[in-house]
Amino acid sequence: MTAMLESVGYASWALHALIWLPILGMGLVLWMEEARAKHVAFWLSLGVFVLSLGLWWAFDPASGAMQMESSTPWIASWGVHYSLGVDGISLFMVLLTTFTTALAILGSFNYIKKRQRAFYALMLLLEAGVIGVFVATDLFLFYVFFELTLIPMYFIIGVWGGERRIYSAIKFFLFTAFGSLLMLVGILYLFFKAKTLLGFPTFAYADLLQVPLTGSEQLWLFAAFAVAFSVKVPVFPLHTWLPDAHVEAPTPGSVVLAAVLLKMGTYGFLRFLLPLFPVAAQHPTVVSVMMVLAVIGIIYTAWVAAVQPDAKKLVAYTSVAHMGFVVLGIFALTVNGIQGGLVVMISHGISTGALFLLLGMMYERRHTREIAAFGGIARVAPWFATAFMITALASIGVPGTSGFIGEFLALLGAFETHPTLAIVAASGVIFAAFYMLPMVQKVFFNKLEKPESREMKDLSGRELAILAPMCALMILIGWNPTPFLSRMEASVQTVLARVEAAAPIVPATETEAAGVTLDTEPMRTTQPNDAAGEDALAEDHE
Amino acid sequence: MHATLSMLLTQGGGHEAGGGGTFEPFFPGLVILLPLLGFVINGVLALQHARASANAVRVGGELELDGPRGRPSTHTLPSWVGPGVVLLAFLLVLVNFLRMLGAELHDPVVVSYWTWMATSTFTVDAALQLDALSMVMALVVTGVSFLIHVFSVGYMKDDPGYPRYFSYLNLFVFFMLLLVMASSYGLMFVGWEGVGLCSYLLIGYWFSDREKADAGKKAFIVNRIGDFGFLVAMFMLFVTFGTLDFAAIAHDAPETLIYGGGLVTAITLFFFLGATGKSAQIPLYIWLPDAMAGPTPVSALIHAATMVTAGVYMVARSSVLFAMSPVGSATVATVGVLTALLAATIALKQNDIKKVLAYSTVSQLGYMFVGVGVGAYAAGIFHLATHAFFKALLFLGSGAVIHAIHEALHHTHSHVDAQDMRNMGGLKQFMPITWVVMWVATLTIAGIWPFAGFFSKDEIIWQIAAFGGAEHAPFPGLYTFIWVLALVTAMLTAFYMTRLMVMTFHGTNRTGPHEARHLHEVSPVMWVPLATLAVLSVFGGWVNVPVAVQESFLGGMGALPMTDWLHHFLEPVTATAHTIHHDNLGELSHHAPWGGGEVAWALISTVVALGIVLASIRVVGGWKVKPAAEDAEPTGFAKVLSNKWYVDEIYDAVVVQPLLRLSRFCWKIVDAGIIDGFVNGVGYLARGFGWFGSLFQTGTVNTYAFILTLGVLVILGAVIF
Amino acid sequence: MTLDFSSQSQFVWALLPEIALCAWGMGVLVAGVSGRNRPSRSDGTGEATYRPGTGLGWLALVGILVAAILNGWLYGVQEVGDTSMVAVDRFRLFANWIFLIAAALAILISFAYVARQRLQAGEFYGLILLSTAGMMFMAGARDLMVVFLGLEVMSISAYALTAFNRRDRKSAEAGLKYFLLGAFSTGFFLYGIALVYGSTGSTNITAIAASVSSGAASGGLLVLAVALLGVGFAFKVSVVPFHMWTPDVYEGAPAPVTAFMSAGVKTAAFVAFMRVFLVAFDGVYDIWYPIMWWLAAITMVTANLIALVQSNVKRMLAYSSVAHAGYLLVALTAANGTAAAGMLFYLLVYTLMNIGAFAVVITVARQGEERLQIEDYSGFGWSQPMLGVLLTLFLLSLAGFPGTGGFMGKIFLLQGAMDSELWTLSVILVMTTLVSYWYYLRVVWFMWMREPLSADQHLQAVAPLPMRIALIASAALILLLGLFPAPALEFARASIQGLGSLGAGLVGLAP
Repeated sequence: MTAMLESVGYASWALHALIWLPILGMGLVLWMEEARAKHVAFWLSLGVFVLSLGLWWAFDPASGAMQMESSTPWIASWGVHYSLGVDGISLFMVLLTTFTTALAILGSFNYIKKRQRAFYALMLLLEAGVIGVFVATDLFLFYVFFELTLIPMYFIIGVWGGERRIYSAIKFFLFTAFGSLLMLVGILYLFFKAKTLLGFPTFAYADLLQVPLTGSEQLWLFAAFAVAFSVKVPVFPLHTWLPDAHVEAPTPGSVVLAAVLLKMGTYGFLRFLLPLFPVAAQHPTVVSVMMVLAVIGIIYTAWVAAVQPDAKKLVAYTSVAHMGFVVLGIFALTVNGIQGGLVVMISHGISTGALFLLLGMMYERRHTREIAAFGGIARVAPWFATAFMITALASIGVPGTSGFIGEFLALLGAFETHPTLAIVAASGVIFAAFYMLPMVQKVFFNKLEKPESREMKDLSGRELAILAPMCALMILIGWNPTPFLSRMEASVQTVLARVEAAAPIVPATETEAAGVTLDTEPMRTTQPNDAAGEDALAEDHE
Repeated sequence: MHATLSMLLTQGGGHEAGGGGTFEPFFPGLVILLPLLGFVINGVLALQHARASANAVRVGGELELDGPRGRPSTHTLPSWVGPGVVLLAFLLVLVNFLRMLGAELHDPVVVSYWTWMATSTFTVDAALQLDALSMVMALVVTGVSFLIHVFSVGYMKDDPGYPRYFSYLNLFVFFMLLLVMASSYGLMFVGWEGVGLCSYLLIGYWFSDREKADAGKKAFIVNRIGDFGFLVAMFMLFVTFGTLDFAAIAHDAPETLIYGGGLVTAITLFFFLGATGKSAQIPLYIWLPDAMAGPTPVSALIHAATMVTAGVYMVARSSVLFAMSPVGSATVATVGVLTALLAATIALKQNDIKKVLAYSTVSQLGYMFVGVGVGAYAAGIFHLATHAFFKALLFLGSGAVIHAIHEALHHTHSHVDAQDMRNMGGLKQFMPITWVVMWVATLTIAGIWPFAGFFSKDEIIWQIAAFGGAEHAPFPGLYTFIWVLALVTAMLTAFYMTRLMVMTFHGTNRTGPHEARHLHEVSPVMWVPLATLAVLSVFGGWVNVPVAVQESFLGGMGALPMTDWLHHFLEPVTATAHTIHHDNLGELSHHAPWGGGEVAWALISTVVALGIVLASIRVVGGWKVKPAAEDAEPTGFAKVLSNKWYVDEIYDAVVVQPLLRLSRFCWKIVDAGIIDGFVNGVGYLARGFGWFGSLFQTGTVNTYAFILTLGVLVILGAVIF
Repeated sequence: MTLDFSSQSQFVWALLPEIALCAWGMGVLVAGVSGRNRPSRSDGTGEATYRPGTGLGWLALVGILVAAILNGWLYGVQEVGDTSMVAVDRFRLFANWIFLIAAALAILISFAYVARQRLQAGEFYGLILLSTAGMMFMAGARDLMVVFLGLEVMSISAYALTAFNRRDRKSAEAGLKYFLLGAFSTGFFLYGIALVYGSTGSTNITAIAASVSSGAASGGLLVLAVALLGVGFAFKVSVVPFHMWTPDVYEGAPAPVTAFMSAGVKTAAFVAFMRVFLVAFDGVYDIWYPIMWWLAAITMVTANLIALVQSNVKRMLAYSSVAHAGYLLVALTAANGTAAAGMLFYLLVYTLMNIGAFAVVITVARQGEERLQIEDYSGFGWSQPMLGVLLTLFLLSLAGFPGTGGFMGKIFLLQGAMDSELWTLSVILVMTTLVSYWYYLRVVWFMWMREPLSADQHLQAVAPLPMRIALIASAALILLLGLFPAPALEFARASIQGLGSLGAGLVGLAP
């Protein structure tokens, strides 16, 4: 396999193809006539997935560095490059994206009835954007893709969504934009520092890693980035956009949102927060704040989910809980924690994606998501019930499914550094059963009373084709996660090595103060205790 | 005979396992794989059948089982596949067991298949551990399971979900075997939660009935509370030992941990929390009685013989850890005995035959925990095994009874409760075989010589005394107390079991004249397993005759192979724990708190038990039991007992409802109210400012000029001053 | 060729584009009054396809082309020294490009409008050309008197254009307001010039710069002068609180004129603003720095907040243009090379996207501009996909979204702010941008996420050819600047040559 890939020079063009094929596909889809659009879109996305599968073999698990790198100047004078690459962290995010997008598109065949061309074009644009986010190795490029994903999602929710779609769409948009704009300032600050301290303008991730930052700078930048990513994840209490967005979004929208968009946040934590600001990232206060928020997210949202009358909203809240495990694992700053977090990301992507697809299929049949409107449908839709049961079990992390591996490792890693928090978080497994099982019972078990429930059709061939691979993957990862873990290992080690290499923080006082009050003084008064400023001015006015 | 067989079986060079011969594992992986295979086959059949019946339901009917061409293959195949795979598994285990007998195995043999989870600091292999303990457990599990599978063929034959039932049952066996054969806590946990999952599926097997589905859900959630404890304990183990493998931990524990230290105590207590969930001990026993909602064979298999004993197995498996934590062990013993007593008292006033047995199970599990709690791990496992026989027998027997009553009621379309003993009575003339085997089981559980229960239970009671009387025994008073309660419970057991028997089989029949005509003995496929279990219940105890007893009763015969046999067989597993006990507690006592040796108390208890049985036959026989319909509500203390001390109600009021209220608060107030309120508030505030600002946009030039001038003045002011 | 301005004739060469444009403007006027092109009263329908004035439009465009060619020619011209009244530097020429583009687009989008409203095409296009010439004078002025001259030429034409639609009361009213307030502010401006002369003894920017930085200038007067000139410019670029005229005028003026003014006038004023403050008052940066800082902050916040509650698209765009003035002011506050280049680049992008947006507004507004409420855009996108996509693009660019020129412009401005370490201002900038998302996207969601009020609501919204040219051109340019901004960026950076010290070197920007 590897040899075959090498023979076609896979490594040199794969990443570019993954981004540009969907974009070209957009054109094709828009040009098709309405009826054919969905098929074209599906086969396209399937092709992209197959293409991305090559990464699995082309990727070298031994190395924790960026692989398949390529870089061409985009805006030379700003040091912006169109540079891509994958490592063990982004590899799985890319695969997850291509996998879920293809299935989400297949899953929207019956759901999306109006303006299909536009819809599928947007789905492809979204895919391209997300893949871009995961493979960009230039912060400017990353930001561009990061923002680019907003637009298609905004339209997908706003145009094809439910009754309160507009409110939800704009809420989603503003929440996310709020974070990412702060991050933009952070990125430009980094750029400014790089320019002044390294002496040349650059947005390249590798270069920005070299920028020496003071403790207080790191804390400020960490905050800016952390807000951006925490909104995406979402971390309590920045999560309230998620339930609305999920409930209103059309099925494929919810699927991609849950499976992929949320991951952009945790991916950002791993790719940028920890390596770029290692000092801040291991600052005891920062760590405990993030972990406490994660734990609150796990417990609190589990409770809230348990009392939701709307099945989709319930699942939406569980997303927050699951991502809580990821954040917990990441900020444990241990190999197990981070790897566990990554597995949870994959597992949550598949299982929650599948749950949303299943709920979508329920909605297509009954045009309601009220849990109370169902009951006993396992008798008329046994395969449906089976698929749902498997997915639900994976979602609540029953051993033998992907969910367990992730949550177990994440908690294990967290326990190594923060036992108490980990124990509290571990109680999440109880509440997981507490929100999921009653829902399963009320929908699939109990007496089959409603006549319209009696009418419900079981899974169709297409639906089976969507769910079967997902369920298979959940169980596969549950029983043999090693191939996945081994591919992450090296990259996770790299991140951790960088964090551990950084010196512990110096309590920041004047620098910080100056940092904020700076700008009411004229530029030409050089900052005390800020040599960087002086260099800048020296160069500014020679 | 087994010697020759094992000779045959141990041909070929195995790896040197301790002294003695060699032990060559015989396809241990297949033991686990076979039930899984059965699950897959039956699962496919189940899905296939479910589709068909779903179509029938959709058009508003039910799928007719007996079509023109007889039963569909989906209903005939499972009858062979289901029990078949388990039988094969049993034979495989037997082969391995005999091979192990051939070679006095000291160190466990671990067969590793693939790396399950691996990071740079943490690794769990998908590996099986073969040692005395796992072999005994596997034998019990596969053996009893097989019998129950066979029984199920008869019991469930007309159930529409037949293939689904067997797929679940096979899946359960798979997970149970994984639980007992896993080589590390990590893999054991897979089985641990897996059996919980199966019990959830099987309790809620008739999921269209809301109460049954509720019961399943309750079981799963309560079990998860226990699993939480198990998880945390595993984390602690990993942080302490850097591994979760049994062998490694058992080996390092004495060095790594401090005897009676806080860490080991914490670990053991969290593990025990897990055990209370799975093995239905205080405070988490509440799910087990409800679990009787499942088909009776399921109750026999999962909620009596195998799954619920997992906790006991786990404590025995962690014997080293518990041995190092007096507090942990004391907690286990105390909780065990209290559970035993509480459950026994509740069992006194239950009228549902399965409920009585359920509480009796809880009570007997309590005994086992007392056993492992006082360091008598072999005794605990011993009672686990014998209990598996006689309790499975009791449940299957009750199943047979219920089956008979149910069919009878079915004929007359009567809807009275088929499980209520008040609607039974005088069944012995209708179903003699069941009657006999049930009496055997009753005498066994009552602990009457020479039945199995006598040996296992009295072993435990004696060990309490021995442990409590040890030279440096921790909290000696406590153990006396436990010892007394254990004896009391034994007597209660004798009573409520006799009550069950009398109400069910003796006196006059209360099922109703018409129904009575349809009562008859169950088919061979159901009573043959009963008979087999009866035999096991009678002689099962002889595998571990205490030395003292053997000497006093069979002294002439000299040492028999079965004398303390199980104890010796398990020695490799429990040795470390025993040494730790010995080093820290000194010599165990040789007489009970108030004098008397093992034999004396064994005689006393068995005589007393027999007396109670005989007495209560007369007493209960004298009662005027009315059918459920006419019977009056109990009053006073009886009411409290029949309402199970109102524990469920208390939990609901103290835990469930507050949690739900809190959840709604978090949703309505915190989420929708505070957080979203803030977010939207910011939005409105911005709009408000905008609106305010637009007020100055009057459209009249004067205003504009005025504001313009104002701005100028401000700026001038700013630059000048 | 090189100009040393030894003889007056040399100024002719230096001012060739302006002169040509003025002359051409006259020509168009004359052509306009000659009967052939007078709109026939007979035709009352005012259909979009109505011909009269079209010829004049093309004629005016040719004039702009001529001016453009001459402007390009000036790149080959060197000037000796930097003291002449008229600067021949890249800064001026870059600005000129913007003016010419603005004028060209304005004319292209006016065709239908002029026809529909049966305006006097000659006067209309003539005035646009003259106003453009005025702007170019401002850009090239290296003497406050020339600045003032250009300012007046530009403004007076603008007043007239605003009130041009005689049949429309609001148009006339707007014109009057604009004129009154304009005169008012011009007063301050002139007074400022006088004070500058009083304190430095010169109106020549280079000379002023010299005496200011040498400290020869008398402090008190200079301070007042700076303040008053600042106010004058602030009014023209419509900075809060001197923006009050903007919404009314933008709303009242004929849409094409609004587009033209919002882009051209603002650019011209900013260009002069930069030259005067960054060059002449370079030495007293410390004095005007805080003023600009606060003006920028207040403008960004106020304008964006008020824009939130506008239901009239034209007014919304008016406030958005005020907000953009705020963003640009941030760069002016930063007062460094990056910022200056950023301003030039941003002004270019802003011109394109703003006129583009107005162009679509005109199309939707139709006859008599009765469709300006946001509800009128319900479902517009689905019934007019092409226009919908274009307007979406323009709005996203105004909002500063990646992939559009607006994004690159904002980044450029922010970089400038960063170089002067204006953290707080930068944060205010992005946060107010967040606010702006709401009202830009509001239009978008009405276009795409609401159903049309009536089936035939948007049928008459059709863009004639010239309009299409303008739309496509600006859209294409915005995308180009958004995706491949490098050449334009380089060009802008090179074009600050002429801005005194800033022109010299740019912080680390050289690749």
